[in-house]
Amino acid sequence: MNRKTKTSLRILQAVLAILATLFALYPVWFVFLASGRAGQRLLTLNLLGTFIPTEWTFENYQVMLFDQPFLNWIRNSFFVASMTTISCLLIATSAAFAFSRMKFYGREWGLVLFLAIQSFPGVLSLVPIAQLLTAMGLYRNLWGLIMAYVSGTLIFTTMNLKGYFDTIPIDLEEAAMIDGCGPVQSFFLIALPLARPAIAVTALFAFMAGWGEYVLASVLIPAPDSAKTAMVGLYKMANELAVPWGYFAAGAVMIIIPVLIVFLYLQRYLEGGLTLGGVKG
Amino acid sequence: MIQWSGRRKYLNVLAFIGPTLIGILIFNIYPIIFNTYISFTNRNQFHPNPDCSVGLTGIFEPTCWDVFKKNAPSGLGTPFKLQEPFYANYTDLLGNFFTPPVLLATLNIFLCFVPLIVAGQVNKRFEKNFDRTLSPGTVTTIAILLGVLLIYVLKIPEALDTIMKSGDFFVVTFRTLLYVAACIPLFFIVGLVLALLLNVPDLPGRAFFRVALIVPWAASTVAIMMSLVWKFFFQEKGTINQILATVGIQGQVWLNDPTIAFIVIVIANVWYSYPFFMVTILGALQSIPSELYEAAEVDGANYWQKLMNITLPLLRVAVIPVIVLSSISTFQMFGTVWAITGGGPSRGAGTPGATELVMVYAYKQVFQTGAYGRMGAFALIMFVLLFGATLYSLRISRITKGV
Repeated sequence: MNRKTKTSLRILQAVLAILATLFALYPVWFVFLASGRAGQRLLTLNLLGTFIPTEWTFENYQVMLFDQPFLNWIRNSFFVASMTTISCLLIATSAAFAFSRMKFYGREWGLVLFLAIQSFPGVLSLVPIAQLLTAMGLYRNLWGLIMAYVSGTLIFTTMNLKGYFDTIPIDLEEAAMIDGCGPVQSFFLIALPLARPAIAVTALFAFMAGWGEYVLASVLIPAPDSAKTAMVGLYKMANELAVPWGYFAAGAVMIIIPVLIVFLYLQRYLEGGLTLGGVKG
Repeated sequence: MIQWSGRRKYLNVLAFIGPTLIGILIFNIYPIIFNTYISFTNRNQFHPNPDCSVGLTGIFEPTCWDVFKKNAPSGLGTPFKLQEPFYANYTDLLGNFFTPPVLLATLNIFLCFVPLIVAGQVNKRFEKNFDRTLSPGTVTTIAILLGVLLIYVLKIPEALDTIMKSGDFFVVTFRTLLYVAACIPLFFIVGLVLALLLNVPDLPGRAFFRVALIVPWAASTVAIMMSLVWKFFFQEKGTINQILATVGIQGQVWLNDPTIAFIVIVIANVWYSYPFFMVTILGALQSIPSELYEAAEVDGANYWQKLMNITLPLLRVAVIPVIVLSSISTFQMFGTVWAITGGGPSRGAGTPGATELVMVYAYKQVFQTGAYGRMGAFALIMFVLLFGATLYSLRISRITKGV
C-alpha cells in the first residue's frame, strides 16, 4: 500500500475530509459564536456572523455566572455526576470481578439477562422509580437522582469492566492464590491496580451519563429552580416564551467545554480501550 | 478460572455481586413488575391513587408499605382498580390487530420479504460451490426485484394503511422501525467512509481530522442541548433559511413538514452517532494485516474489490455488536426527538404526530395524558419485543462471548 496517491484522489479525499469536519464542528461552533453575541437572538442579520466571529462580548457569560442560578445548576450536576461515578465504580468493579473470575451458578446467563433487562424502556420505568423515591422521601432530592443514575449505569459499567478483567491474565492471581491470597485480597491488590485504564474510561462514561442526562432529572427534580441540574435548567430556559438565547448559548458552551477536553484527552483510550468490553452505554 | 475453595465461597460471591444485584432488583426489576401490575388496572389521571386495602396494590405500591406510609402523597380522585376484563388495556392497544383484514395485510407484508429470505438461504447453501451458474449478487438482485414486484401485486401501501388504521400502537411502532432502518445504514456508511479516509496514511492534517471528527460524540453526552441547536437551524428564522435567503429562495418552516421533520431527526442522530461507528471501524481497520491487501494487489484487485472482499468481511466481527447496540438505543431514542420536534408536526388531535417515536409517544401519554395503565401495557409489549430482540442479537453477535 505504499503507492503514491494520485492527485485527483488526494483532492477528493481532502474535500471529503473538510466537508465532514464542517458537518462535525459547525453546530458546536455555532453555539460558541452565539454565546459571544450581544442580544438574545441566535439569529444575526449579518450572515457572516453565523460563520466567523464578527463581534464578541462576555456579557452573556457574566449574566449566566452571576445573575442566574447557573452556578447552582453546575454544582448540582457536578455533585450528582461525581457521586454517581464513585458509587457506580464502588459497586460495579466488585461485581465485574466476580463475573470474570469466580465460578457460581448463573454466571453464564446472569450478565446476558441483565443486558436484556436493560431493554425495558427507560421512559416507562420512570413512574415506578419516581413513586419508589417518593415513598422513600427522596423525591426532589439529589440523592434520589443519584440512586436512579447509579442503577441505570450499573449494568453497562459491570459489563465493560468485566470485559477488561477478562483480558488480564489470570496467572498472577493464581500465583497469589497459591501463596494464600483470598479473593478479597486478590481483588484489591492485583486486579484493581491492573484494571486502572478500564476504570478510567468507565468512570468517564458514568460521569458523562450523570452530567448530560435530562429525562430522569426533569421528572425527579422538577423544582425549585436552584435544585435543578444544568441540563434541566438550560432546557427550561430554552423553552421560555422569549428565549434568552445568548444566555443559553453561554451556558451550553460552559457545559460542553469540560466534556470536550476530557473526551479529546482520553481519545486514544476510546479507540480500542472502550470496545474491549464490547458495549457502548 | 480461579476456584477459591472453602465453604465461604458463596458468601464471597454474594459479597462481591450483592450490591449490584440489589441495585438491579430495586431499580430495574421492580419497575418491570410494578408496570406489569399497573398494566392490568385502569390507572389514569382520573384514578391516580392506590387503594391499599386491595391485596396486590398493597404489595406492589411502595406508598402502601408501612415503612413509607408517612410519605404517601394525598391526592384527589378515586383509587384505581383492576380492569374488567383484566386484559382490557391490551385489547385496547392490540385489539384491532386480530381482525381478518389486518391479519391479511400483515401476511401480505411478510410475503414481500420471502424472496429475500429464500435468497439468503440459497446463497448460504451454495456458499462453497465455485462453479455455480448464478453469482450470489445475481440471486440477491432477483430476490429484491421479486420483492418489489410483490409490493405492487399485493398492494402493500394499502395493506400498510389498513394496519396503521388499527391503532396508535402500530403507527408509532412502524414509524420507529422505519427510523431505525433509516438511521443505522447511514451511521454505518458515514462511519465507514470517514474511517477509511482517516486510515489513509498520508492524508494531510490527519491528526486534526481525527480529533475534529470525534467532537459530535462528546457533544452527544449533552444531546438534549445540542438538539435545541439542531432545532434552531431548521426554524423559520433559522440558519438554513438565512442562507437560502441570500440566494433569493424563500425558505419554509421545515419542521412543519412531516417528511422533512423526520429527515431532520435522522440527520441529527447521524451527527451524534457516526463517531462511535467511525472509531470502532478505525480500530478494526488497523488490525487488518496489510499482507492481505498486498496479496490482492499481486492478483490485480482494484480498490473496490479489496474493499468488498477483504475490508468489509473482516470488519464484520467488530461492527455487528455496534450495530446491534445502536439499533436498540435508536429504537428507544427519546431526548433528541423530544427536543427537536416534540413529536410533531401534529396530525390532528388524538393521533400521534409525524415524528412521534415509541418513547416520545409513551412519554406524552404518561406525562401529558396520564394514561398509566394503558402505557404499562404498552411498555410490557415493547419490553417483550425488545427483550427477545436483544437476546437473539446477543446470541448472533456474541457480544458476551466468554461470559
